[in-house]
Amino acid sequence: MPDWFLHFPEKIHINIVDPIDKAIHYVLIHWDAFFDGLKKVMGAFINAIGRVVDLIPWWLMILAVMFLTYRMTKKINRSVVYAALMFFIGTLGLWDLMYQTLTIIIASVIVSLLIGFPLGIFVASSKRADAFVRPILDTMQTMPSFVYLIPAVMLLGTGNIPALLATTIYAVPPIIRMTSHGIRQVNSEVVEAAKAFGSTKAQTLFKVQIPQAMPTIMTGVNQTIMMAIAMVVTSSMIGARGLGSEVMIGINRLESGRGFAAGIAIVIVAIVMDRLTQGIYKQKEQEKL
Amino acid sequence: MKKWLTVLLTALLAISLTACGTTAEKTKVTFADAGWDSIKFHNEVAIFIGENAFDLEGEQTSGTSTILISAMESGDLDVYMEMWTDNIASYDQDIAEGKYKELGLNFGDNAQGFYVSRYVIEGDASRGIEAMALDLKTVADLAKYSDVFEDSDDPSKGRIYGAISGWQVDTIMRNKVDFYGLDEFYNYIDPGSEAALAASISAAYEKGEPIVSYYWEPTWITGKYDLVLLEDAPYDPNLYPEGKSACPSTEVTVCVSNDFYEKQPEYSEFLSKYHTSSALTAEALYYMQENDASYVDTVKWFLGEHDELLEQWLPADKAELVRKALD
Repeated sequence: MPDWFLHFPEKIHINIVDPIDKAIHYVLIHWDAFFDGLKKVMGAFINAIGRVVDLIPWWLMILAVMFLTYRMTKKINRSVVYAALMFFIGTLGLWDLMYQTLTIIIASVIVSLLIGFPLGIFVASSKRADAFVRPILDTMQTMPSFVYLIPAVMLLGTGNIPALLATTIYAVPPIIRMTSHGIRQVNSEVVEAAKAFGSTKAQTLFKVQIPQAMPTIMTGVNQTIMMAIAMVVTSSMIGARGLGSEVMIGINRLESGRGFAAGIAIVIVAIVMDRLTQGIYKQKEQEKL
Repeated sequence: MKKWLTVLLTALLAISLTACGTTAEKTKVTFADAGWDSIKFHNEVAIFIGENAFDLEGEQTSGTSTILISAMESGDLDVYMEMWTDNIASYDQDIAEGKYKELGLNFGDNAQGFYVSRYVIEGDASRGIEAMALDLKTVADLAKYSDVFEDSDDPSKGRIYGAISGWQVDTIMRNKVDFYGLDEFYNYIDPGSEAALAASISAAYEKGEPIVSYYWEPTWITGKYDLVLLEDAPYDPNLYPEGKSACPSTEVTVCVSNDFYEKQPEYSEFLSKYHTSSALTAEALYYMQENDASYVDTVKWFLGEHDELLEQWLPADKAELVRKALD
């Protein structure tokens, strides 16, 4: 049996490794000024959010979680449980680290929404844009994040700044998808009716389509937040501070307890944020009915 | 259509079965690939010798060092070619308790500490870089140059890229920064992982920017880039943990799982004699980087260059088998 039959022939070889290396190297040297500027902007943004988060005293945060949960679910025992879970993070000695993690999550969710929401509306408006954007989103979600972590470090240094970039890449697809999906799903008769009453395109969009699509869009927001939380540990590999780095230290030292403590704190943050954002759109849905 | 599919699948199955049958049942040896280049290189050397002289088949499992070590304890992993003993908090205890076996010293003439690129001190006319810190020689000197190594996140201070958090040496490096009073002038940054640290050094070097960071050798980074290790007080075992003296050379040993040691005495014998040096390792890594060679090609080149190693490591007949495979 000829060798090429069993093994992929070595002669057919396309080299994409060197061109990519060269491209990154080129960008590194020649776009230095651009990335320095970007670094400053992103750094200032994260620091601003960090400062706001730091202003919230621990008891206010717990009370806020309690109050919001009650408003969303109208269940007093649930709001007490979530408040107790938050309190538990404090008792683990991880409160400050949680704030640092929260800062990155909030920053990247804001950036994701700023990019994703308009893009989602745009994609909903055109079939061609949809066909173009969809495979890109699939790639962003499935590309192993380590692949772009290292170029991110080379261009933006270590710390929270490349973490913001990496987290945004990972967290932005759901909001784009769900926004576009939600707007497309709005009953065409409703849109027709709006048009018949003489609404302009913008009016139809902002007063009919987006409000109608809101539950779906909020699902997207919820998913985006969850994706951002999923990146917490990964982004600590490039020096992002917070609960993720605590998990990493636990791994590096084989200290299972330390890893689990931080892991549990991440789970609690995820659960609380998930239920709260879910609460918002469930509420919206009920209002609609 | 369906019939053809069946025929095709049967044919493929038959072929794959015969293909499997031709590869004889060799004993598999699992090597730890903890991620850095020198361990991969040493793995390939040991695999090459194992396959050609001992009729073993080698494979590598990648993971972080701690996870790989616990795999070796449980016998899921056989050989660990580079145990950086000082970086493994529980090493002495593990050996004493017999969780795995130390066979011998791979190399012990390595270095670690704070490095700066040479052009920071001396400038580099060919790249048009002017010297930025002419009198920078020791770690203590860093205090004068915090403006050179400016932290872009906090321009009032300099930035030192530290060791990876969780490594034992990280605590020591933090102590060192405090001991020399550098914490007043510098932020000690946790790079998060080896890859991120290497990427930071590489990016700074390519751009000709100043950087001071913890690193260690032999690595391809220290082979590829011209880095200078900042001097420190001579190593003293009592002062070192508090960061008051230079880091010692870490003993890098070869370890195997207990199970493997019993089952493969001959190969373990070879591994216990496996002794190289930091310089030899760096030489091989440099050859690989420079010639864009694969690990296997580098191993062949390396063993061809250093025939004396085969003599030290192997009995005459086995060495001959390896030599034959080199041609």
